[in-house]
Formats: sequence, C-alpha cells, structure tokens
Amino acid sequence: MVQVKHKVEKFNIATDAPGHVELLLGNEAIARGIVEAGVQVAAAYPGTPSSEILENLVKVAKKVGMYAQWAINEKVAIEVATAASMSGLRAVTAMKAQGLNVALDFVQHLNLIGTNGGLLIIVCDDPEAFSSVNEQDSRWLAQIGDYPLLEPSSVQEAKEMTKWAFELSEQLHSAVFLRSVTRISHASSVVTMSDIQRLDRKASFDLAQYFSPSPVVQKHAELKQKLEKARKIFESSPFNWYRGPSSPDLTLVCSGTGWLYALDAIELLDLEKSVGIIKLGTTWPLPVEFIQKHLRPGSRVLVVEEVDPFIEVHLKEQMYDKWGGDELPKIYGKNTGHIRAVGELNPDNLIDGIVKVLGVNYRGRNLSYDKKAKEHASKMTLARQPIYCPGCPHRASMWIVKRVLRLEGTDGFVTGDIGCYALDRYHGGQRVTRTQSAMGGGSGLASGFGKLEQFGFNQTVIAHCGDSTFFHAAIPAIINAVHHKSKTTYVVLDNSTTGMTGFQPHPGTLLDAIGDPAVPVDIEDLCRSLGCAVEVADPFDLEDAEQKLRDLVNREDTKVMIYRRKCGLIVFREEGPQYKVWVDEEKCFGEECGCDRYCTRIFKCPALIWDKEAHKAKVDEALCTGCGFCFKVCPQSAIVREKI
Amino acid sequence: MTSETVLKASQRLYDEVITTGLCTLCGACIGLCPYFGMNLRRGTIRRIDPCERDEGRCYQYCPRTDTDMDAIYRRILGVPYDKDKIDIGVVRDIFLAKSRDADILKKGQDGGVVTTLLWAAMEEGIIDCAVETRMDEDKSPVGFLARNKEELLQCAGNSYEPGAVFETLNRIPRDSSDNLAIVGLPCQVAAVGKMKTYPSQNGVNVDNIKLVVGLFCGWSLSPGSFHTFLRENFDLSQVIRFDIPHHPAHSFDVYTTSGKKSIELDEIAEFINPACSYCCDMTAQFADISVGSGRAMFKGWNTVIVRTGAGADLIEVAKKNGMLEIQPLPEENLTHLKKAALIKLKKAIKKITERTGSEQDFGYLKVRAEVAEALLEE
Repeated sequence: MVQVKHKVEKFNIATDAPGHVELLLGNEAIARGIVEAGVQVAAAYPGTPSSEILENLVKVAKKVGMYAQWAINEKVAIEVATAASMSGLRAVTAMKAQGLNVALDFVQHLNLIGTNGGLLIIVCDDPEAFSSVNEQDSRWLAQIGDYPLLEPSSVQEAKEMTKWAFELSEQLHSAVFLRSVTRISHASSVVTMSDIQRLDRKASFDLAQYFSPSPVVQKHAELKQKLEKARKIFESSPFNWYRGPSSPDLTLVCSGTGWLYALDAIELLDLEKSVGIIKLGTTWPLPVEFIQKHLRPGSRVLVVEEVDPFIEVHLKEQMYDKWGGDELPKIYGKNTGHIRAVGELNPDNLIDGIVKVLGVNYRGRNLSYDKKAKEHASKMTLARQPIYCPGCPHRASMWIVKRVLRLEGTDGFVTGDIGCYALDRYHGGQRVTRTQSAMGGGSGLASGFGKLEQFGFNQTVIAHCGDSTFFHAAIPAIINAVHHKSKTTYVVLDNSTTGMTGFQPHPGTLLDAIGDPAVPVDIEDLCRSLGCAVEVADPFDLEDAEQKLRDLVNREDTKVMIYRRKCGLIVFREEGPQYKVWVDEEKCFGEECGCDRYCTRIFKCPALIWDKEAHKAKVDEALCTGCGFCFKVCPQSAIVREKI
Repeated sequence: MTSETVLKASQRLYDEVITTGLCTLCGACIGLCPYFGMNLRRGTIRRIDPCERDEGRCYQYCPRTDTDMDAIYRRILGVPYDKDKIDIGVVRDIFLAKSRDADILKKGQDGGVVTTLLWAAMEEGIIDCAVETRMDEDKSPVGFLARNKEELLQCAGNSYEPGAVFETLNRIPRDSSDNLAIVGLPCQVAAVGKMKTYPSQNGVNVDNIKLVVGLFCGWSLSPGSFHTFLRENFDLSQVIRFDIPHHPAHSFDVYTTSGKKSIELDEIAEFINPACSYCCDMTAQFADISVGSGRAMFKGWNTVIVRTGAGADLIEVAKKNGMLEIQPLPEENLTHLKKAALIKLKKAIKKITERTGSEQDFGYLKVRAEVAEALLEE
C-alpha cells in the first residue's frame, strides 16, 4: 500500500496522488491506467460500453502531454495508434466489440508486424446486447490473431491490468488485448491510485525497420514464440490466483465478472469449505501449468465466463493433452448446459450450474419466478421501448420519410443503420425501417436493392444514416451506388454530432476531441462531388423537406437527401426551449373523425400525452423541450406554439 | 393495435373502393384527416397511417360507397329519385348561355358560364368565396379558394383530370362563417350531396355551402398516366388551355403559346380512368346548376341545367346584371343530351352488374324497385 503523499481536494485522472482513493467508473479506471502508464497517443471511435475511456482521456490529454483523437472509425483509430507505436510511443485504442470487427483487417496484420512502443487494444463486449445488435465474444478474435489477452475482474484490476499491459507489450513487441464487459466498464468502485509515469518519448520512425507482415510464415512462427513467451509470463502473474480448500469438490474457473459472481454464489450456497475458485486474469494463452497445479485427476470444474465458452473449450483441449482417460477433469460450463449459453452471466444462473454439478439442495429464486414477476410487472407498468427524445430532428425526418414512402405506395422501406435514428424500429418510431445490421450496412444494402429492377423489383428503397455513420462506413457504399447507377435514395441525418454514444465529435464537426479547432468536412460538398443529385433541407421545415424528397425518390439514379438540423438535446442544453407549446382544447378533435388521436397515437412525441378524462391531447411540460415541430402535425391546428 | 378481423372505416374504404378500381379520385376523402393522401404524380390515393375509428366521414361521403339515391334527392332536390330522372336528373330550366364579359370569354371554357355565375354570386353577396381548382405550373388541377374575379379567372378552363377540390374544402376551419360555392365533377357533386344529407359536427359547416355548380362529364383522364403523357409530349410551361371540341371533331386539343396541337382521341383513350366506367351521372344531378359544353353546334356557348331554387335565383341575378347572354336550347339538342346521358348510364349499369354478378345488385347505387327496372331496360 503506497503512502498517501498529500490530501487531494479535487481529483481527476491526471492527479498525481499515489495512494489516493476515489470512486471511479470502470472506464475511468482504465483511462487512469493509461495515464499512469505514460501513454502519449490515444485514438478511438465511440461505442457503448467503451466510450468513456477516450472521453476521460481528452479531459486531461493536454495536461499529461497526450494526443487523443476521435477517429473516423475503429480501423483508422487503431492505425493512428499504431503509427505512434511504430514511432516508439506508448499508444492505446478502445472500441466496442463490433468496432473490433471494423478494425479486424488491420488487427490481423498487426500481429505479424509487431510493435515498438507498447500498444494496448481495449475491447468492451456487451453481453445481453444492452446497447448493441449482437453479443459477440471478442476473445476469439484475439486468439485468432495470437494476441495475449487480459480480462479484468474488478474496477481496480482494470486500472492495474491496463497499466501493466504496456510493459507486457514492450516485452513481447506485440500489441496486447484487454477485454472488458459492461459490468466492469460501467460499474463504479473504489480505486487506489498509483503513481503516474511521464515518459515524454520522442516520436521517431526507424528506417532500418520494415513494418510488414511479410515474410508471413516466418513472422507467424515468431508470433507463436511470442505467445509462448507470454504464457510463461502468465504462469506467475499476480492477476491469476486460487482461493479455497486444498481438495475442493468443485473448482470454479472464472474470468472477468465470473470472479465476483462466484464469490456471491459460494456465499449464498454456503459452500466455502468445498468449492474453490481459480480466478484467471490472463486468459490467452491460458496459464496451463498454473491451472493444472490447482486441479486433480478427475476434478470437477465449472467454467464461469461471459458470452462464449472460450476458456471452457480451450481448457478442455489443453487438459486433454495433460491427462488422459479417467484422469481427465470433468469440465462443465456453457457447452454442457450448466450455464446459460446466451445472454449475460449473473449469480443466479451460476448458482443453477453449481447446483446441477454438485446435486446440492438449494431453493433459490428460480427462472420461472422471473417469468411470473415479468408477467405481473407488465400489468402494472408499461413496457417502454426506446424512443426519440422530445425535440429530436430524427422524429421529423422519419415522419417525412414515412409520408413519402406511403404516398409513393410501392411497398417502400428504409434500410436502417446504427445510431439514434435507428429507434424508428420501436413502437415510438414510424416503423418504416426494415433492416438493421452493421455500421453503414443500410447504405450497402440499399446500393444492392437498387440494382434489382431487372428482376422485377419495384419497391422504393431509402437508406438512412447519421452524420457520424456517414463518415464511418456509408461513404464507400454511396460511391458504389453512384458508380453502378443504383436506383437508391440516401437520407443523411445530419444532427452535427455522434449522438447515441454521448455527443462525441466526428469529421464533420468544428472541434476535435480535445477541443481544438478542426477542419470540418462538409457532407453536402462531399456528396455533390460524387456527381449525384443532392438536396439539403431542414426536417423541421416540413413542406420543403417533404417536397424535395418526393421529387428525389422518383429519379432513376442515386440521390442524396441531407436532412440537417442540430440534435434537439444539444439545442435544448445550449439555447433552451425555442417555443412555448400547448394544446388548444377547443380546437382539439381528439378521438373524433378528422383526428383519432393523431398526435399521441401516430406522431408519438413523448411530450404529447392523452388525457383520458378530458378526451383531449395535452403537452407534458416536464418533457417538452420546446422545439415547436408538433404544431405542424396537428390536423386541426390545435397545437399552438409561441416563440420564447 | 388494430384488430385484424374488424375492419375500420378507413380500411373499408381502402379495401372496397380505393384499391379496387372504383376510385374516381374525386378527393372527398382527402383533407378530412391526415390519414389519406393523394399522390398527384402517380394519380393514386394512399393511406398514410391507420385510423382506428369504426365510422368515418371518408367512408360516408365517398360517392362509390352505398349511395341512397332517394335520401340524397329528397335532401338536395326536394323530390324522390324517380325513373324519369335517370337520364339528366331534375330539370327546372335548361338553356344555352354565354358570358358577356370579355375577360371571362377569353379564359373560360366554351361560354365561361361557371366563372360568370360565381362572379355574380360574389357580387351579390350570396357567397364569400368559391372552392375551385386551378392549374399549377405543371398544369395539374389543384384545389384553390377563390375570393374575387381575378382569382376566379385563374381557375377558369378545364383540365380534364379530376382536381382535389375537397382537400381545399375540408381544410376550411369549422368555425369559419364564410359562405361558399363549390365547383365539381358529378362524382364530387355526389359527395357534396352526401355531406349535406349526413352532416357532421367536424369539418366545414355544410350549411355554408350555398351553391354547388356541377360540370357535365363523360369521363376524366388519370392524373398519373395522362399527365406523364402530357409531360413527355409538351413543354407544359408553354401550355395555355385544353379543349375537347366534340363531334364531329374527334380530338383532344392542347393550346400552347406557339399554337394548337390536336391529339386523336383514340390515342388518349388508354388514359381514361377505368373507374369512370362505373359512373351513372353525366350531368352532375346533385348540383344547384349543372354546366356543360354547347357542343359543336353552339361553339362558344354552355348548356345550362338549373335544378334548385338557389340555382334559379342566381340565374336571375346574373340576367339582371347583364352578365349572361341566354338562348333557348333546341329540342334536338335536348334529345341528344338525354340520349348521351342514358347511354353512359346504361353502360355503367352493365359494368356494375357484371362486377356484382347480379342484376339485382347495383353496387353503390341504392334505388327503389321500379327505378331499378328502368335502369335495367335496354
């Protein structure tokens, strides 16, 4: 325990105060680890649950002599970080799991290229897909690349591992993976600080080196050696330990959040005397000698990990080589049906697994209770789905897109993408979006649909994407469409921010991550330079925005409609409400013919509510941000607005 | 969410009329609410969102849903629908007329009578404004509220496509006290007849509609396909007016700044709205005054049928102010008119009964037994 040198009044992650204790978010702790390691370059793309890592770094970047960048996408982000590593600096990149997929081409060559300055690749997985559209386990991808992999089990450990990872990287001349999950990244816990290293290295590219994966087979062999070197280091790592009896009836092998759930489960089952825990922090390559030390022939093992049976599968394979026949430990986990194979881990499903293996009598809360509880709760509360904020320009844009598609009457649809605008698919949206996939996926799909006319396809297809998504991935798809004369309409929803992940800047905004002036790349100019038809409108200017889109969709070629309006929440925060809005109850038709609750049933801004007693619509002043758009929606002009 | 098994009013209208080839694009369902919209470019009416009401004005006012001829006749014309009315309806008076105003004659169709009558009504204070159609830059007829002679002149001239006159009418606030005239095709006039027979609390107060002027109509051209044809063959910005000069001519004439171009009627037959073949009304029988062409024999004149007291009063006003030149309609012209109307009616009845599969079932047309017999006679 480090001696506290001085009392700290106002703490931030660059505060040099070893021994100071503070409540930190997991990602904040990781950022602190990055600062403590003397990292000089950080580049990332926003993605839940990883965004706070760079968000915290940009706050202190100048103070600690760091360059921090929100790059255009994860592939370019890791390339930016790698340039720094090649030049001898310590660098880091952070992304969500799906961002790793974007960066993967580079990652699968970086392994053979190797690193100079320590390089850490942080991937944050999203078990249960709370904020994603898949729940992939990124550890396999680290393994495919023969990368050493670390998994923190607590917020404190996240900081320690992060800091140590750069030493490991420089030892091995390989990038290192750190895999976090939502319950680590977005949990808060007390963290004790260590001292901050200021390396202040000079960036320099050594011309004598050739940074390439070639010759591939030779470099692949070298990579295997690095991995074996990593394993030897891992065998004595302080991030792996054993707790429990010397001859347990069951050994839990845990990584990440599994450790804490295991402690909970054992306590609840009162099995401290008979269940041991091997806690692994270094999970690829597996520290097999360490593990084997704490197992016996025929040991019963239950593997506790998030998302996939990654350790389970590798453990089985490696134990098979060490022991044979009857001596093989019995390894249980997701593949054997003892732990739920999909979704997020929790103490309850771990308890179910332990009970199954040991055959103990435990009457805990079972899964059918959850089902019953949900049923009862659904009667007492509404199942609220995500919805556009009051004031959101996407509500207006998708309103217009719906009207245009329905009036065309060709069974048209929207190919969707990732971002706030994707909320169209829920009950609160207009539900014209019919596909969802990867970043830029909607734009690519649309470029394909636009070539199906020769096979009798005659439905109107509109691809929508946000401004950040446009830069991240849609540009190549749009260029593809233009070049191939694809009959497609692109609607770019430019709200001047990367909204869903927390209002980060992107190449179209005026300032960069650190707050310095940047060169804003103009979406309209870029699209016009492609030579296709481009229109720009304010989605709040309903008639103009709708007419322009209606004229565009009937053209034979590729066309781009840019609906440009700042995010409603940003406007509300920066400028306050623009209008006072209320319903004139005398004009409101309500349920009558001519309205049938149009604003609350069809338009669905959450700030518009239906008064069951009065049979009239009302504005909820607590939710209304005063954007004033709804006054155009009411067919009887019963919604009134007054400029503030 | 809407139950799939119980059809709501707007869904019924969509499934029974709009998507089945019966819709004449009269537009009576447009503008009542935001749920229906008209795509002028394609010439279609589409449901934009689902309304959940079991009953609605859209279904009630549509001229192609159940139309109780007796009920509407009694309400508008004060008499039942008897078999002597089936050709050209109630005729209180019938004659040829022509405007005496040079500006109106220049712009108006044939004798410019519709524009003149509306002007007379405005001058006399019978109406404050007229709900008409006006051609936009693309020469499509769009609904327009005219309040003075100059605006009436903007509306003068046929387009031969249905104009969404109801969108304008339905958007007038219900607390407005303006007195209105409305000009429409027979199907549109029938919708107004239904509006007056089954008035609603919502929407414009039908008692404000003081005058209904109907236009004779044999068929109309589809705003989708016909307008595409026009766009492909003409620079629409140079077009001044359209005319179908009648037998012995067999053409559709387009007058442009560089002269007249005549298209063979057979060439545009494919653009006739198929729904018009189910229409039994050539002379807009529910109007106060119905106006048609004077035809080849009386080029530059209008045939005028006066049906109601309100219509007759207005004619007197126009005569008194010297706005109209009037001459009697020769007997042979009246005979010809009745014959033409009867041919249209019989053709429609045949098509309707083919569609319903029974000679006892006239689809939307609800009539008494003896009238039904008359309709079926050869």
